[in-house]
Amino acid sequence: MNRNVDLEQEGIEIKKSCCYFCHQNCGVNAYVKDGKVLAIEGDPDFPTNTGGLCCRGNIALLHLDHPERINYPLKRVGKKGEGKWEQIPWDQAISEIAAKLAAIRDEFGAEAVATAGGTQRTDDWARRRFMNLFGSPNGFHNALLCWIPTFMVETAVCGWSPFEIDLGSSKCLVLWGQNPGASSMPEMHHLTELREKGLKIIVIDPRFTETAAKCDMWLPVRPGSDLALALAWLNVILYEGLYDPDFVENQCVGFGELFAHVEQFTPEWAEPLTWIPAEQIRESARMYAMNRPGNIQWGTACDQQGKPSGALMHARALLRAVTGNLDAPGSDLLTGPSLEYITDEEMEGNEFLKDEQKAKQIGADKFKLCTWPGYSKICETTKKVWGKVPTAEWMCEAHAPSVFRAILTGEPYQVKAMIVNATNPINSYGESKLTLEALRKVDFLVTCDYWMTPTAVLSDYVLPIAGALERPTITSSYGCTDFLLASQRAIQPMYERRNDYNFWKDLGVALGQAEHWPWETVEDAYFAKIEPLGYGTENYDQFVEWYRFHFPEREYQKYLRQGFATPSGKVELYSSILEELGYPPMPEYTGPAENENDNPELAQEYPLVLSTGNGFMPFHHSEHFNIRSVRYINHEPHFQINPETAKEYGIKENDWVWIETKRGRIKQRADVTQAVAPKVIITERGWWFPERDINEPVLGGCLESNTNVLTSTSDEDCDPISGTWANRGLLCKIYKVDGKEGK
Amino acid sequence: MARYAMVMDTRACVGCQSCTVACRTHNNLPVDMMYNPVTTVGPEGVFPDLHMIHIPLICMHCENTPCVDACPTGASQRRDDGIIFVEEKKCVSCKACVMACPYGARVCNHEKGVIQKCDFCMDRVDKGNVPRCVQTCHQKARTFGDLDDPNSEVSKLIKKHNAVRLLGELGTEPYVFYIGLEAQIR
Repeated sequence: MNRNVDLEQEGIEIKKSCCYFCHQNCGVNAYVKDGKVLAIEGDPDFPTNTGGLCCRGNIALLHLDHPERINYPLKRVGKKGEGKWEQIPWDQAISEIAAKLAAIRDEFGAEAVATAGGTQRTDDWARRRFMNLFGSPNGFHNALLCWIPTFMVETAVCGWSPFEIDLGSSKCLVLWGQNPGASSMPEMHHLTELREKGLKIIVIDPRFTETAAKCDMWLPVRPGSDLALALAWLNVILYEGLYDPDFVENQCVGFGELFAHVEQFTPEWAEPLTWIPAEQIRESARMYAMNRPGNIQWGTACDQQGKPSGALMHARALLRAVTGNLDAPGSDLLTGPSLEYITDEEMEGNEFLKDEQKAKQIGADKFKLCTWPGYSKICETTKKVWGKVPTAEWMCEAHAPSVFRAILTGEPYQVKAMIVNATNPINSYGESKLTLEALRKVDFLVTCDYWMTPTAVLSDYVLPIAGALERPTITSSYGCTDFLLASQRAIQPMYERRNDYNFWKDLGVALGQAEHWPWETVEDAYFAKIEPLGYGTENYDQFVEWYRFHFPEREYQKYLRQGFATPSGKVELYSSILEELGYPPMPEYTGPAENENDNPELAQEYPLVLSTGNGFMPFHHSEHFNIRSVRYINHEPHFQINPETAKEYGIKENDWVWIETKRGRIKQRADVTQAVAPKVIITERGWWFPERDINEPVLGGCLESNTNVLTSTSDEDCDPISGTWANRGLLCKIYKVDGKEGK
Repeated sequence: MARYAMVMDTRACVGCQSCTVACRTHNNLPVDMMYNPVTTVGPEGVFPDLHMIHIPLICMHCENTPCVDACPTGASQRRDDGIIFVEEKKCVSCKACVMACPYGARVCNHEKGVIQKCDFCMDRVDKGNVPRCVQTCHQKARTFGDLDDPNSEVSKLIKKHNAVRLLGELGTEPYVFYIGLEAQIR
């Protein structure tokens, strides 16, 4: 939107588009004339953002035609990473890539082709469909760092994940490792309003965040120790009699076992582990349990702790259950899948993948819940009760770090090709040095992206992908909820950009899958999804223009009618699914991946506690570093350090400092602040420097300040249940960057 | 005639700088210029007993206008509805107004050789829309409206929350009001 653009000129159409720069997919009105977007603004009628747009959303037009965008298919002509490219037609790119994939399949098996995804800004069901038809079980996302372990543990325990919070009549909200003030703006607005009306908000976060500054109680937990806090909350709630006896009696199994199990986890036990005073643990547990109904909002931090993550999610799920805060007005809701429109899972074609191929999924033998063994079990029960099952893309994937290792070691077998879609693994997956080596080594690499990232530059082909304003979008919480928000494309893709749907479809057709791709455009596919809703529209765009949303009537306490989608039909405080998969049926205590109690020798060399940090404005993951109009807000990487610790190390505000774990070191500038506890180091993630040489060996400085260099993906540091790797609760040391190394 | 005012609810502002970016996009400002920075005060205190507040700043659109009074060419003007703006073709970039403004709300556009500032998006306001920063704010931390209308949202908010003006002691009588400052700045 620009004051020099006349929006009252003739011929302007308003298209109901959306923003695509994070998961919120805020509604956008795009002013379009002659195939050009003249202006955008937040759609005041969109239910989530009601007209709001954050700083990222506001630079959409700069993103749309940024000079650094990739606009044509590129084929590598020089050495890998050398930066020599030839512009080729799409048809040629598709046929050459298809031929290469077919050759790999013939020689090494379909499982030698892996795909990597990023955030949900792509038609992931289409990728899954392609992979299923191709015959490879080795698709994956950063999904394990973001909700998926939570979804699967909660579904194992209570039959679906209570992803939706019902705040209207809620009395208490726990934001556990979540900071909507920087990462979920539409939600934050409602919190401010509801708090004024009496909603109590508890923030659990090692960092004093935008959100922590506006809550009723802030628990600055030691990074990675959330499990101890959750177990102590269970202890307080059960032993102080704050649970819901009626719900526990009638709707749960295993209460007796749980009661005995958590006796050991007193607040006094948790105090030295969490650094939260026992009395405050009690007070906070009481605040949650006694202000009913209440909600516990999911946050990524719990999915990112590695070893203790699965037990933490389990304990958190049990907190909701014992307080009866499940699927009742004002509490966490179990929507189940949509029974009214065709879900993502129904578009994925999982039936095309043979059992013998499923069995080859990398990581499924080690981390069983979010791979075929656990997913199949969960599908059995959800199918019985809901009639549908969770999305397989996300919930049932190869273990990403193990795939990168397979490329390097050939174990359990050689992975020869990788297609990377909407992600920059070097910056966003764990142990960046290892990931980078894998991408350097893999025989055949294709990247679909907006920008020439450090990953894209190592590719054999780089394909230009359409962005938010150039493609339609359906938002339905990863295909796992019952509502739907629909947006249309403002314009057809500029230059030779294409939707990722078209990429997967065209590649599939080139590999003989034509009969399974009946939808010419992505709009056709979306229309097939929503047609059963019975709105009577003739096409997808008409649905968006006339209706745009579908919110089914809400039914609370569905368990009274249909039970819970677990083997026993009850909430399983003692989880039979986890037990059958070989995991503890109740959450056992496990320390953070690295900590001074379990690793005293390591703690001598690396005495500080590291958290690799959550989302921060104005960036989203490793994106937007190219765009000056937002980069100016946060030009250089910063980590947070308490003044007491900074003094001890002779570090002053803005100094460049090395932060080192046993896996490597990065440098960021010091933000000396009371926002974190002494001994805690919180880094910013995502950092790379598009302004530098993107080609080998510089690669945009992708390891220099990239916090994922510090994280751990070794099997023993991963959560045994889900496989999520360790970003929080690691040990590090710091020292000043000397003059020669500084910038 | 309306008298336009803006109310900033610092209890809601999270310092995301959406307003800053939206404003710059709307007004086509160079990267090093902004009309409405958001300042963060804090976290203050000693861990873990902390508080923090974000204060959006902007041209205050004062009733008594040191900037207009200081302008030797008549470029800085005040409309009857209280909006203060710079008529760029009359501006000689002498910076007298920059010196005069106690709020630091005026910036020099070196590319164009003129002084610029927030004018409440008068292009939008004249068409019945709210300023761009108000529209883009997810938190609804900004409210814009007519102070002469006792039923307008701004009038009601100011009354209900006893909203304050920044540097009120200077007697400039700004038309930008703040909620939540006293409670949060200890």
